[in-house]
Amino acid sequence: MGLFSSLGSDPEAIVENILKDRVTFERPVYDPTTAVSPVHDFNLKDHTGRFKDARYLNRGVEFALAAALKAINASKLRPDQCERAGLFVGSGPNMDLGGECPDIRDGQIVQDPLPALFLLRFLPNTAASAISRLAGIHGENLSVGSACAASMMAVGEAFRKVKDGYLDLAFAGGGDSRLSPGGILAYKKAQALWQGIEDPRQTYAPFDVCRTGFVAGEGGASVLIESLDHAKARGARILAEICGYGSAMDGYTMTAPEPQGTWAEHAVQHALSEAGLNPGDVDLISTHGTGTVLNDRMEAGMIQRVFKGHSPKITALKSWIGHLASACGAVELALCLSCLELGLFPGVRNLVEPLNPELHFLKAPTSMNPRTILLENFGFGGQNSALVIQSWKP
Amino acid sequence: MNVISKVIESLADILDFDPNNIGPETYLIRDLEAESIDLLELAVVLNTEFKIEVDDDEIFLKTLRIYLDKPKECPKDMGEYMMEKYPYLTRERIKEILEDLPHGPVIKVKDLVSYINWKN
Repeated sequence: MGLFSSLGSDPEAIVENILKDRVTFERPVYDPTTAVSPVHDFNLKDHTGRFKDARYLNRGVEFALAAALKAINASKLRPDQCERAGLFVGSGPNMDLGGECPDIRDGQIVQDPLPALFLLRFLPNTAASAISRLAGIHGENLSVGSACAASMMAVGEAFRKVKDGYLDLAFAGGGDSRLSPGGILAYKKAQALWQGIEDPRQTYAPFDVCRTGFVAGEGGASVLIESLDHAKARGARILAEICGYGSAMDGYTMTAPEPQGTWAEHAVQHALSEAGLNPGDVDLISTHGTGTVLNDRMEAGMIQRVFKGHSPKITALKSWIGHLASACGAVELALCLSCLELGLFPGVRNLVEPLNPELHFLKAPTSMNPRTILLENFGFGGQNSALVIQSWKP
Repeated sequence: MNVISKVIESLADILDFDPNNIGPETYLIRDLEAESIDLLELAVVLNTEFKIEVDDDEIFLKTLRIYLDKPKECPKDMGEYMMEKYPYLTRERIKEILEDLPHGPVIKVKDLVSYINWKN
């Protein structure tokens, strides 16, 4: 596993930040009415060494690449094993409008300060291309562009390829950053962002009745998904078992989720069914929990329906790291894996009045060793995805 | 800043090399591992930096081996012929290049400087 997040990039930093209630939320200079959660002290070259193609990587892709290299390093795979590994990468659009575009007026290019191949900073497979080049990965691969469900779907597709015997091992993940004037503008115009005069560290509260939108985040993560036989044969350290995955599309609007969560539920039920589990088996739900009015209402309603009569604990990791767009699935999975290792899970920060009081939201960091975790991620365009993992018991 | 310094700065930036390790005698491809994609970028930067219209084939000696493979067009003196094709290179440099050909791609940093000076 490889992780870069504003909550920390290794278990020790993560636990310290959780216990000290530290987040990096701040107001960006390009729009102080909003808030962002930057990853401080990230420098791609620390992870790649000399790498001339770095000029073609937007910041999100930098995170995806660094996380993949970290995961590959941690996996201790030999080069010949990496060569036949699969690679599944969730990828978001480059929204750095100010930094990447020529000056076009009345249809004429007035000024063009761009590199010859600036288009690489926009192609969805640039992360995969860079990872493949630096890590020598040549197996089956897929770059997934399904908005904020992208990297969970990359994990899900990799899981299926391994489960169905097409691959023995596959790296899956993604990286994203919307921390640019264009990225913030895009979500602000869509009325999806947290806005306010209060301190965002005290008021960004997914699932609270007072929620107003999300804090934009950044980061990346990559996990190695491996068949049990293969992992055992090489003596790999197993972090968890992926048991089931589901995805579905709303077919509703281009942005708002279908209010009942009918197809989000479909994704969740499919993941549970593939895992051979029932709702009552789920100990913890890592929600999509963006803090937008519409997502949280849909998601809380859906959870209440699916888990009626049961009481899984519920958390919202975005309340700590912000919303990482296409990378949220991979990063939230990596954080859950870290938390499993730590035996400590963070609650929903700033949650005072849950919009759905029947649900069992964690409101403070909680020592727990959940056996079964359900992770949910949804995206613009009606993308729904769900993953069921279990802690590993040899 | 003079031409050579600007060229070295651009190369260091594009190829992610320490500028202190680049000099006029450094080979672009043999030493700096420049690929075709990097030469594309370099052309764009030189265009902007020096406000000249860079001809990729000319500046990067891309058609050198094609010229050499056309013996019919070549007059008796290959050096003369090359000077016609690459008017920005000196006779001595052409001689050097022809002798160096068996060892790999011949273009050096100083050739870029000669081209820019000639264009200006």
